Amino acid sequence: MAWLFVRLKLRLIAGNLRGDTMRQIGYAFTLAGALAIAGGGFALLALLRTAPADLALNVCVVMFTALTVIWLVGPLMVFGVDETVDPARLALFPLTARQAALGMFAASAAGPWPLASLVLSLGAVAGLARGPAAVPIGLVAVVLHVAICLVASRALTTALSGVLRTRRGRDLLAIGVVLVILLTQVPNLVLNQGIGGDPREYLAGVTSVLRWTPPGMAAHAIADGGLVALAELAVLALVLLVLVELWTAALRRAMVTSDASTQVGSVRRGRLEGVLPGGALGAVVAKELKYLRREPRGRMGWVAAVGFSIVMMFSLGGRNGMDGPALAVVVPCLAALMIGLQASNAFGIDGRALWMNALVYTGARDIRTDFAGRHLAVSLVAVPLLAVLSVTAALVAGDPAAAPAALLTATGLLLVALGVGSVVSVVLPYTYPERVNAFTSAAPGQGGVAFAGSFGSMLATGSLALPVVVPVLLGFTWVALLGVPYGLAVAAGGRRLASGIGYARLPDLLAAVSRPS
Amino acid sequence: MSEFPSAPAPGEPVPAVRTHGLVKRFGAQTAVDRVDLVVPRGSFAGLVGPNGAGKTTTLSMITGLLVPDAGSAQVAGIDVWRDPAAVKARVGVLPEGLRLFERLSGRELLLYNGQIRGIPREEVARRAEELLRVMDLAASADKLVVDYSTGMRKKIALAAALLHNPEALFLDEPFEGVDPVSANTLVEVLRRYTASGSTVVFSSHVMDLVERLCDWVSVMNHGRIVAQGPLAEVRGNSTLNEALLQLVGARDHGEEGLTWLGSSSA
Repeated sequence: MAWLFVRLKLRLIAGNLRGDTMRQIGYAFTLAGALAIAGGGFALLALLRTAPADLALNVCVVMFTALTVIWLVGPLMVFGVDETVDPARLALFPLTARQAALGMFAASAAGPWPLASLVLSLGAVAGLARGPAAVPIGLVAVVLHVAICLVASRALTTALSGVLRTRRGRDLLAIGVVLVILLTQVPNLVLNQGIGGDPREYLAGVTSVLRWTPPGMAAHAIADGGLVALAELAVLALVLLVLVELWTAALRRAMVTSDASTQVGSVRRGRLEGVLPGGALGAVVAKELKYLRREPRGRMGWVAAVGFSIVMMFSLGGRNGMDGPALAVVVPCLAALMIGLQASNAFGIDGRALWMNALVYTGARDIRTDFAGRHLAVSLVAVPLLAVLSVTAALVAGDPAAAPAALLTATGLLLVALGVGSVVSVVLPYTYPERVNAFTSAAPGQGGVAFAGSFGSMLATGSLALPVVVPVLLGFTWVALLGVPYGLAVAAGGRRLASGIGYARLPDLLAAVSRPS
Repeated sequence: MSEFPSAPAPGEPVPAVRTHGLVKRFGAQTAVDRVDLVVPRGSFAGLVGPNGAGKTTTLSMITGLLVPDAGSAQVAGIDVWRDPAAVKARVGVLPEGLRLFERLSGRELLLYNGQIRGIPREEVARRAEELLRVMDLAASADKLVVDYSTGMRKKIALAAALLHNPEALFLDEPFEGVDPVSANTLVEVLRRYTASGSTVVFSSHVMDLVERLCDWVSVMNHGRIVAQGPLAEVRGNSTLNEALLQLVGARDHGEEGLTWLGSSSA
């Protein structure tokens, strides 16, 4: 049974790669990455032999814990990539839950990342094990550790698979992913702020807790190599057994529970329409404002923009960092840039629904109105947000008077980015994949276009915004007054240029954002 | 079986749809190969043929969503690619694959659609409410389209296509995956629409339905029109299904093989 699942997994990988050069290249990169992590991680952990014993153990505890967390969170982010993970696909086969669990475990162990984790963890045996008994104990500990990672990760995805198959669950998860990525910055911030004092003491403090988690025990067992280690191995085995039981139970349930994603409530009828102007412009603004709220991809971008700029606010403003007006200006500008860059593939969000507009638009003028509506909608939400960020950053920087200049500069930058974004949207359009995924942002084969699009608009926005942003940063604060008119001019120019190009190639645009994904 | 009447004599009314030598290639494959489609005004026309015959591609080119490699298309006598504005104002489309603005509610989708077409807001709201009621969607009007079932999606998409009272309606597989109750609603609305002199062109795999609804049929195979004309002429003395199988040259797989099937011994 296990072997059958391994073969199924290998065949799925091969089938996925057949005849698709981009995917083959992508997979080659995956293999290279796994190899690098396996080799690098092994070498790093093995080198701990040269460090003092307590420091070596502490580093290893942190590494093992990090690996476990990655295993728990990582598969959730790419759920749907591995068909052997989805229990619904197995529901029709005459398998007991235990057989299915065994098979899925074998399938999930067959792949570059589990093997890389195993090799990396073996580095700990090379780095920590002292004495002849420690090596066999270490090997067992490593195998148990990796097995716990795999089973815990599978148990979690299985338990959540019902949620993950629903639309709401995936929407929520998309936001969760951004928060998790932002959370990884917390230790960095804490160190940067010098809260923990000496980094080594800080490390010791953290590991005194982590040491009692399963990955911590595995690391400790390798270093100890004595009776305590044997006891720890027993605990690890017990944890593994419990996880296997939990997984089997989750599997049993997941195979017979249905997707309830369409049984959801209604949306409130908008009061918005009453305030907005009528006609096409108002319709586009209303639609875009709803999309900002309801489309997970959009929300992800906004949460990331605000979260990232807050992280930057504290990490730039830490000990011997930036201060004064410069910090107050940089933080909202970063947020403005990140929000603005999301407009670089404006029609991608519409995706396959764009035909509805294409069927109506009868000239460049209509597309200009469409862009104007989008820009208005983004500005309506972004400007108040930037105002809050500007005031906060100015207060953190200890220079409240810098807030107006910061807001004006950031708004100017946002408008420049929107103008650039409209041109990039019609020149380099691409399809967003149907499932939100933390690692790819384009349909298969369009990764290059997506990269060129975001990189190009970042460069163009950066260079077009320099005349305003640089003088303000250098202290010529009055230049900020020119930011908004300048931004408005760039945005209007961008719309004019983009609508001409866009109307001429409307069917191409439609095809580019409607690729199967 | 009639030879297709592609050129009406002078003095005859302008057909609702007429294409001349429409060609579309995707790489080495020619999806649509010199298609001359004619649909008389006021008819309920069916475009039938096996999968991959080029029905969807042809409809996309007629409605201005796909640029043809060669040939021309006219709707109500207006060239689609020379005066797209005039054509777009006159047609309603339900494309394949139910591609809609997923994160709007059904009502919001109709309001958006009407407003970008320049219909005054109050008028859009009035028409939207009526369409929602007729389509039996009033109870789900405030749910997001992403949570709609296939039948509901087809109905809301048809409502969106009818909102601006087009002269001609192009529907790609409108009944695919639709439950019988919704299908009946769709049929009733479409019958009322053609009774007033408007034209419906729809593609379908369901021959019984085409036979029941249509008065004009065009049969496509391998990117070409192989027969076209009034339903009675195309099907002759057989059923439309038999006529189609004969036209596209369906193969008989015979009785050999599958000997194990049906015994239920293992």
